Amino acid sequence: MGLFTRSRPIRSLLCWLLLAPLIALNLFPFAVMLSTALRPRDEIFINPQRWLPSRLAVENFSDMWTSVDYGTAVLNSLYVAVASVALVLLVGIPSAYALSRYDFRWKRKYQLFLLITQMVSPIVLALGLFRLFVWLGWIDSLDPVAIVVAAFNLAFSVMMLFNYFSTIPRDIEEAAWIDGASATASLIRIFLPLALPALSVTAMFTFVEVWNEFVITLTLVRSSEHFTLPLEVHALASNLYELKWHHIMAAVLVATLPVTALFMWLQRYLVGGMAAGAVK
Amino acid sequence: MSTALSHPPLLPLAGEGKVRGIFRMFRMSRAFWLILPGLLLTALVIGLPILILIWTAFHEVSRFGVLLSFNGFANFADVFADPLFYAALLRTIVWTAAVVLGTLLLSLPVALILNEDFAGRGFARLLILLPWSVSLTMTAVVWRWALNGQSGLFNHLLLQLGIIDTPIEWLGTAPLAFMVQIAIAILVSIPFTVTLLLGGLSSIAGDVYEAGAVDGATGWKSFRHITLPLLKPFVNIAIVLNVIYIFNSFPIIWVLTQGGPADGTDILVTYLYKLAFKFGQLGKASVVSLMMFAVLLVFTVVYAALQMRREET
Repeated sequence: MGLFTRSRPIRSLLCWLLLAPLIALNLFPFAVMLSTALRPRDEIFINPQRWLPSRLAVENFSDMWTSVDYGTAVLNSLYVAVASVALVLLVGIPSAYALSRYDFRWKRKYQLFLLITQMVSPIVLALGLFRLFVWLGWIDSLDPVAIVVAAFNLAFSVMMLFNYFSTIPRDIEEAAWIDGASATASLIRIFLPLALPALSVTAMFTFVEVWNEFVITLTLVRSSEHFTLPLEVHALASNLYELKWHHIMAAVLVATLPVTALFMWLQRYLVGGMAAGAVK
Repeated sequence: MSTALSHPPLLPLAGEGKVRGIFRMFRMSRAFWLILPGLLLTALVIGLPILILIWTAFHEVSRFGVLLSFNGFANFADVFADPLFYAALLRTIVWTAAVVLGTLLLSLPVALILNEDFAGRGFARLLILLPWSVSLTMTAVVWRWALNGQSGLFNHLLLQLGIIDTPIEWLGTAPLAFMVQIAIAILVSIPFTVTLLLGGLSSIAGDVYEAGAVDGATGWKSFRHITLPLLKPFVNIAIVLNVIYIFNSFPIIWVLTQGGPADGTDILVTYLYKLAFKFGQLGKASVVSLMMFAVLLVFTVVYAALQMRREET
């Protein structure tokens, strides 16, 4: 609101100049990833350091990929993410629908309960979760990871879906009932197609969250054949004998860039929609 | 479910009376079935571990996780007798306060700037939100390499810019490492906070400023007397949410130093994780978990109260 000056070009310059240090700090890790992932092995631990390698060592990606069986980690991450997102939607859509369409006695309490589940961090429950799944004999598998991650992401998705669902006018469903459609049929055939944009945005946000999950997987997964991407990268960076930073940064890039691209595309929904979602 | 009667009435529209009798009961049970799956999933995944933690906290536990005898409050006494607990607790308070305040102080001006109309604003917002998309684990791994004393690119950059003239071992000593971790935590918390504040700023209607300008409030005055008061609920919510997130934040410290050197950067979550999964002190770990859960519950109630107050006004 005209904090600075009325002249747009000068204001634009001023704004960019003020934001520049933060933007530089945000871009810095990406520069580090690229610069390191693309340099030959013998140019890692050099002093003085430099930004540009003598040649582009693209073979780092294929070497890393085969030496740590990175494809398995990618598949594991995809498996957990897809399974969690599916579970979150399956369980979250009815909840959000009930919250937006019905007035029931425990509504407030259910919302507060969801809020608490959103505030509890997995790390606080890590030991309890570990003991629970040991007791169930279901440790070191990706399925319990997917279930637990889904539970921790449910509240956010329900709130986000609830906000969108509330904007869909109820007349449309009522019209469908009058035409003789059952409540279930009108939900599936009339309501959900209308809510499709909201569903996909929620699904993608959950996907990014799950893709980046670390603590639950670290707690419930032991053997490296079940490692997801963050766990694989963490294991590479915890190697006590040799830190192959050129491989690690290649691994980070592969894991990060697709999701960053997805997120960058999604962020416009975030500023418009989620600010409301987080606050309302 | 084929007759017209079985259709549940929806929320009564404004002005309509409440639907009573059999409709009301039916409506309730239908809503109940709809929320049941979500309730079950979260209650089991979040409720059961809490029960297990309570049970474990009051037992003597072997290194291998076998519950031995009931031992009352002995595990609690163990925790309160551990100097590492107090060190981690104190550091958690410093960590949470520093990161939350630092994040807010940086996010406010950034949000105000992004709320201005300037060329390339959408792109600038994209670049400000960038860290949000990267997993904290990955960010921390990248910074660990970048902060390497001899070959790290961060020292290289600072040397190039002439800010320092000898390389610094950023993670070599605990106090410096902890400050670096706080700085990184601030950096990754800014995107979320800016988004929240931008939502708040966009809800302030333009005519409020026009009215203010008529009364002579422009520039700093309009910020101080119009923007800030109207933004206050959002600032409050940003503070509470960030307190919760930062209090719980694990990957940055774990990946950068694992709480070291010499436990000098441990906060409660890393202390807890070590107790549980490195030292096999499960009784003590359960006690710390429960205490943290209690603190989080308090924060959540504060947040819920703030929300309701906002909705009432």
